[in-house]
Formats: sequence, structure tokens, C-alpha cells
Amino acid sequence: MFSTTGPYAVVARSMLNGALLACRESAALGADFTIEPVVVNPGGDLNRYAELSQELIASGIRHVVGCYTSSSRKEVIPCFEKHDALLWYPSHYEGFESSNNVIYTGASPNQHVLPLVAHMLANVGPRAFCVGSNYIWAWENNRIFREAMTAQGGQVLAERYAAIGDTELQQVVEAILEARPNFVFNNLIGTSAYAFFRLFRAACKERGIDQAKSIPVASCTLSEPELEEIGEEAVDGHLSSSVYFSTLDNPANAVFTGTYDAAFPEGPSTSADAEASYIAVKLLLRALHDAGTDEVAAVKQAVTRQRLQAPQGDVWIDPQTLHAWLTPRIGRSTEKARFDIIVEEPAPVRPDPYLVTSSPRYAVSSRTPNLRVVR
Amino acid sequence: MMAPRLLQNFNGGRALIVTANRSAVVSLDMTLAKLGVTAEYPEIVDARAEIDFSPLNAERDIVFIDGDLDVTGTPEPDEVSRLPRVPVIGLVGVEAPSRLRNLINLGATAFLRKPVHGAAVYTALFLGINQFLLRSDMHGRLEDMERRRRGRRSVVKAIIALMTDAGVDDDEAYNRLRRESMRARLNLEDYCEQYLRSRATTPDPTAHEQALPLPRADRK
Repeated sequence: MFSTTGPYAVVARSMLNGALLACRESAALGADFTIEPVVVNPGGDLNRYAELSQELIASGIRHVVGCYTSSSRKEVIPCFEKHDALLWYPSHYEGFESSNNVIYTGASPNQHVLPLVAHMLANVGPRAFCVGSNYIWAWENNRIFREAMTAQGGQVLAERYAAIGDTELQQVVEAILEARPNFVFNNLIGTSAYAFFRLFRAACKERGIDQAKSIPVASCTLSEPELEEIGEEAVDGHLSSSVYFSTLDNPANAVFTGTYDAAFPEGPSTSADAEASYIAVKLLLRALHDAGTDEVAAVKQAVTRQRLQAPQGDVWIDPQTLHAWLTPRIGRSTEKARFDIIVEEPAPVRPDPYLVTSSPRYAVSSRTPNLRVVR
Repeated sequence: MMAPRLLQNFNGGRALIVTANRSAVVSLDMTLAKLGVTAEYPEIVDARAEIDFSPLNAERDIVFIDGDLDVTGTPEPDEVSRLPRVPVIGLVGVEAPSRLRNLINLGATAFLRKPVHGAAVYTALFLGINQFLLRSDMHGRLEDMERRRRGRRSVVKAIIALMTDAGVDDDEAYNRLRRESMRARLNLEDYCEQYLRSRATTPDPTAHEQALPLPRADRK
């Protein structure tokens, strides 16, 4: 279930490709069953997600791989819980959720935003300007970012939001240039993000500012097919915190990118979310094979026993949270619409969706000063 | 005044789950574990539970109480404010006013329906604990206001006495008392009481511009 049309179609198409590729490889499992994927497209319309989930489950399907935005995932979860079906959610997200009817194969916030905060504070500067699409992903990811920044001596100058699909972002660009942060933290998704990157680069160029050097943009979403959408004028020098980049140099990734490119020559190219979708289907197939049934309880048990040599490295599912152990990395985009990997964790990191071990006990308030002047 | 900060990470907490119906709280137990909170189950005898709140620690402990049980707490929460020592979250089975009233009387600040649904737990913890912190803060403020109200008479008397003694107007008298109370690191009401007492025992308070006749904490 991927919105292969609509404002975030580019990423969703690469996700569908990743999932289909894993289905095609199912023969290699040697299992006594075959997989017939049923593909549906909600078109980015939240209401369609719930309707389609209902229809799929009513038709006897127990396992659905899909959703990109958190709002769509939250929309369909009640349906999966009601009918005890399993959603395989293959994208990074903002955490603070752990449904027993979802397997999360994308990155948790301790695997994307927190490593980014550490990197930006150590290497770029303490003053950030946050932009984002106006929904739960950007609100929460900005909150986590702001709290982590504030706790470590950084500062968020402002936060600006735009509706999903909005491309009139000139005012946001002006506000950033006015505030002159050390960097921009971007949580815009889809077409809004691509428009923002182009507008911001152009506005900087007009003012003689080397945008990538002076005010770099850091994201937790930005992937290779999106770099291609941004276009060559504004493609390079952007930072992305992700668990997968197509430039990873290892045998599993060489096979993955090779077969992916051969299977989908029309693109879009591989992305972190395509890899997460590929992982989701791979794990699903192995768990089905292991469990010998598609019953949800048995498959959930079985999936926690799998250890996958994924394109990003070893991946497995944490039995307590049903989130994935993944390897955080930070990449910088190149003119060829790919990423140079500049930071990499040495091993997979345990998912911490509620930031239980990686956030302060009390909410950090950046507005309340520690000392007040009393006259 | 600053509002108390919001608690949002419950890691290291301990939940005492007071229920006779363990199957209704399976999801509660699982979700608490994800949030870094350990669960313990106090013993229930004949559908009666007696909880000793006194050894509990508000920094760590949270009590979940099944409203369908006959529960008594020792010591009882503060009767007027119904403020228990630690946050209390009610587990609601039978939605009858009598059962709900019992939970309110025990100081519950959030509720979970039985059987507990995992997705409701974070919200209940967040509301229950932060409402408890807010109420504790309000309780502290009310006590402070009460103390000030009781001390109001001493402040009035001290102002009048200082006006007479030092020949200053009421504003100046008040300002001096306030300044000196800060120097003595006492609140204004206590300082005024002390001032009145010391004045009664030292009947020569004519020093116009000198310090008031009280020990000053910051003097070496």
C-alpha cells in the first residue's frame, strides 16, 4: 500500500519497487508457498488509506507492507488492531508509538535525529532554523531536535511549517536568510522539500552566499530519488541522517542496487525507504517460512528470530518494541545525486522509539531561562 | 512563578499494579516495560487491597489501582486536596459512580479502561504523572498562600511599629522590612513576627537610618 501518485509519490514508488524486488526473490527462500503481492495506491489521501486497509483485510490479507507518512500510519493502525492484522511499516519516523500490530523496519528517532544533532553541534554550529511539513512527523521530529539541541547548548531560532505539497516557500527562505542560522533542519517532505531546496539555493546565490558551506540544510528524510527531483542546480552539499545510502560499499548492497536497477530501469533509484521496504518484505517472507503459517501471533514470534544480511548491514527486530536494529549514518549529497558517507556507526544500534535511554527525564524548555533577575 | 516541568521519560520508574484481574493488564505490563517502567503486583486478599503509601517515592513510583477492588490506602491522602504521596492511575472496569468516586478519593489523576489497551498507556502515564506534579505544585502554592495569610497581621503590625519607631511613612517601612527580611533570608511574615518579638524585648528602637535590630544572615 504505497501512494505512488500524490505529493510524496517519488519516495513511495521507490518503496514499492523495493518491496516488489523482495517478492521476486522469494523463490530463493525454498519455501513451499508463493507470494502474490496485491498493490494498492491511496494516492496520498488519508481517507483512502483506512478504506483500502479495511478492504485488504476483509479480502483475507493478514500482512500489509506500506505507508510512508506517519499520519497515514496512524490512520490505519486502528483497523489493523481491530482485525489483528499486521502492518509492516517501512520508513523512518518520529517514534513514540509501539503498536503490537506493526513491525517497524525504518529508523527510530535515536537512529536518525539524535545522531544528526550530535554531528551538527560538533561540526557545523549551535544555531538552527527548523522547517517542516505541517503534520505529526515534522512537529515531533522538531520537538526531539529542539530538546536535544537545547540540552547540549544549541539553539533553535525559529520553526516554520508548510502544508504537505505546498511549494510557495519564498517567505520561509526570506525568514531563514534574515535569521542567519548555522544550518537549517529540514522536515519538509516530497514536493515541498524539493521546491525548498531549489528556492533556498537560488536565494543564497543571489546574495552571494555559498549555501552548502554557509547555511547547510540537514534532513532525516532526504534520499537519492529526491536528490534527482531537486535537479542539478541545487543537488549537492545537503546532509542527510539515514540508515542506508545507495553508495554503501558492501556485497549485499552491490547485489541489491544491481538487481534493483536492472528490475526498475525507469527508476526512481534506491532510497533508504526502498531498502526499508525491501527489508520488511524479506523479513515477512522469512517469518512466514519459519512460522509455517500467516497467523499474526506466530509470524510476530518468528520475525524476532530472523537476522537479515541487509544492504545496510545486519538487521533484526527487537522483540520488545518490534522496531529494527539499524546502523545510523550521515551522508552529504553530491552533484551526481548520491551521498558521500561522512559518519557511520560501527554496529547496528538498538531502536529506542520512546527515547527511554536517550532523552532527559523532564521536557526541556528553551524559553525558560535558568536564572531570573530579581530586583 | 514557574510551572513545574513536564515529565516525559518514565525510564527507571516502578509501577505497583493493584488488581486481581491480571489478564486485563497484560498490555499494560508489556507497554510499561517498553517505557522502562518495571511492574510489581501487591498481594490482593479477598478482593481487598491495602496499600501502604508511606514508603513510596513520588520520584519513582506510580500506583495503578483497579477501581473494582475494595482498596484502602494508609495513610489516607490529604483529605482536602486528595493529594496522594505518589501518582495514582485508576483502572476502570465497572463504570459506576461509586467505583469512580473511590478512585477520585484515592487521588487518581488519569484512568485506563480494562482490559488495558497498549496504545493508551503512554497517554495515561503522561497525564497521570504530570497532573500529579501540577497538583503537588498547586498544593505547595496554596500552603504558601495560607502561611502568608496567617502572617498578614504581623506584617501590618510591624509596618505600624516601624513607622512609629523610625518616623518613616508606610511605604518606606514596608520597603525596609522587605529588604531586611531578604538579608536575613526569612520570608516577610516570619521576619515581621521576629521583629515584633525582638522589639517587645528591646525597648529602644530609635535608630532612624540604621539596620533593624535583628541578626542578619549575610553579615560576617
